[in-house]
Amino acid sequence: MRMSVSDVTVSTLNDTWTFSGLENFQNDFASPAFGETVLNTVIFVGIVTVLGLAGGLGAAILLAKSGKWTGFILGLLVFIWALPPVVNGSVWKFLLGSSGLLNSIGLETGLTTQPIPFLFDDSIALYSVALVNAWAVIPFNALVFRASIMGISPEVLEAAKMDGASRWKEIRHILVPVVKPTTLVLLVLTVVYGFRSFDFIYVMTFGGPGVATTTLPFLGYIQAFVRFDFGLGAATAVIAVAMVIVLAVLYARSVRREEANS
Amino acid sequence: MSNTVDRTARMTNKPSRMSALWRKLKSPVATPLRLVLFLIYGIPLLWIVLTSLKSPRDVISSQSSFVFAPTLEAYSEALGNSGLYTALQQSLVIATGTVIFTLLLAVPAGYGLARVNSRITTVGLGMLIVLQMLPQTSNVIPLYQIFGQWNLLNTNAGVIIADTAMLVPFGVLLMRPFFRAVPVALEEAANLDGAGTFRTFFSVMMPIARNGIATTGTLIFLLAWGEFLYAVNFFLTPNNYPLSALLAQQVSAFGIDWPGLMALAVITSLPIMVLFAFTYRLLREGLTLGAVK
Repeated sequence: MRMSVSDVTVSTLNDTWTFSGLENFQNDFASPAFGETVLNTVIFVGIVTVLGLAGGLGAAILLAKSGKWTGFILGLLVFIWALPPVVNGSVWKFLLGSSGLLNSIGLETGLTTQPIPFLFDDSIALYSVALVNAWAVIPFNALVFRASIMGISPEVLEAAKMDGASRWKEIRHILVPVVKPTTLVLLVLTVVYGFRSFDFIYVMTFGGPGVATTTLPFLGYIQAFVRFDFGLGAATAVIAVAMVIVLAVLYARSVRREEANS
Repeated sequence: MSNTVDRTARMTNKPSRMSALWRKLKSPVATPLRLVLFLIYGIPLLWIVLTSLKSPRDVISSQSSFVFAPTLEAYSEALGNSGLYTALQQSLVIATGTVIFTLLLAVPAGYGLARVNSRITTVGLGMLIVLQMLPQTSNVIPLYQIFGQWNLLNTNAGVIIADTAMLVPFGVLLMRPFFRAVPVALEEAANLDGAGTFRTFFSVMMPIARNGIATTGTLIFLLAWGEFLYAVNFFLTPNNYPLSALLAQQVSAFGIDWPGLMALAVITSLPIMVLFAFTYRLLREGLTLGAVK
C-alpha cells in the first residue's frame, strides 16, 4: 500500500521512498493501456466463467454415472487439473502455433486457407488464452458439480418417475434446484480464478501482442518487474486487490447462505 | 446440451429398471459427447508425449504428424544437462518445505476455526477467503521489496516462505470441514478421560482427520510444485530455478526447442503423476468437500 503512493524504481527500492501522493494512481488511470486492460479483464473473466461453469456442469452430467469409462475420463480430467499450469500452457501454445495441430487440421481439411495466428493476432489472442483457461478450470467444476448431482438419491428420481415427470421436468425441477447452491459458490470461485489467472497468460502470450492479453493483475506485474516502475505496479495491484475484496464479500455471503441451508 | 440428451432419451424409451436419470445418461447421445470430452482432454496430453519423442527436425517439417521415428534424443539431452537435476532438487525442496510449513500452520488453525464459534471465527474465515483470492501478481511486488530487505532474495527460504504464505489460507479452509466432521462427543470423551486440549488434538483429532491432512498436503504439494511466479522473480539467476520456473522461462522465450520443452514438461509432470496415482481417491472426495463448505 505504502509503495503505491510513492515514487519507487529499482534504484530507490531499498532507500526511503519519495511520497508522490496519488500520482501513481493518476498515471495509471491516464494511460491508454489501463482502459484496454480493464476491458480485457472483463472479457477474459466473462469467457472463463461462462464456459467454465457451463462446461463443468455439462461434463458433470455426462460423467455422473459410475462406470469404467466415465471413471477413466473423470480421472483424466482431474489429472489434467493437477498438472502444473505451465505444462498445460506450453502444450496449448504448441497446439495453437502457426504450424501446430489445430492449424494443420484446418489447412488439411480446407477449412482455412492460411494459418490462423491464434496467439499473435490482437483480436484473437485474448479469446484463445481465455478458452484455454476455461478448459483448465472445467475439470474442477465438473468434479464439484458431479458430487452434488450424485447426491440426489435414487428414490427421489424413482418418485418423480412414478408421478409421471418427463425427463425435461426431471432436469428442471430436480437437477437444477440441487446444483443451484453449488453453482453460486462455483460462480464466485471461477470468477476469482479467471481474475487471478496469470500462468497461462505468462506462458502463452506474456500479455501480448501489445497489451492484447494483459489483464489487470498482469499489468501490475509487468509495470513492476518488466518496466521496473514499482510504484505504478503497486498502484495497479492495489486496484486489483480492491476488486477482489468486492468479490470476496459476495462469496462469503453465498457460503453463509449455503451453510445456513445445510 | 442436457436438452438434447433429454430428447433422445425420450425417443429411445425402453423399459428399464434403472432410474430415469441414469437411463438418460446411457442414451446414444451421451456416449459421443463423452468421447468429445475425452478427446478435448486426451489429445493435449498425448501431444506432449508424442512431441517429446520427436527429433527437432521432425517438428520443423511437420509439427502435427503422427508418423515419425520416435527418438529419445530430447530426453537424453534433457537428462544429460546437469541443470535439470538441480532444478528437480529445487522443486522437491521447495514443494516439500512448503507442505511442511503450511501443514504446521494450517492444521491447528483449521481445528481452532472448526471448534470455536464466535464472531471472531466469522471474521477470521472472511479474511482467509480474501487472502486466498488475492492475485499472486499483486503479492509479488511487496514481497520482492521485503525479501530484499531481509536478504531472502535468491534463497530457497524466501520462496518457501512466499509459497507458504500464499497457501496457508487455502490449507486452513480445506482442513476446517474435516475437523468439523468429527463429532464433538469424541472430544468430550477424551476430556473426561483426562486429556487436555493439546493431548486431545494430537492423539484424538489428528489421527481421525488424517485423510484431511493427507488431502491438504497433496494439494499443497501440487500447487507448490507448479508455482513459478515467485520462483522466477525471487531467484535472481536461472541456475536456482525449480522445474516449473525453468519451463516457464523456456516457453516464453523465442525460437523454442519444442521436443526439448515437451520432454521437460513430461519430466515435470512425472512426479505429479506418481503422487496422483496414490491420492486420486482422496483428491476426488477432498476437493469437493473443501470447495463447497
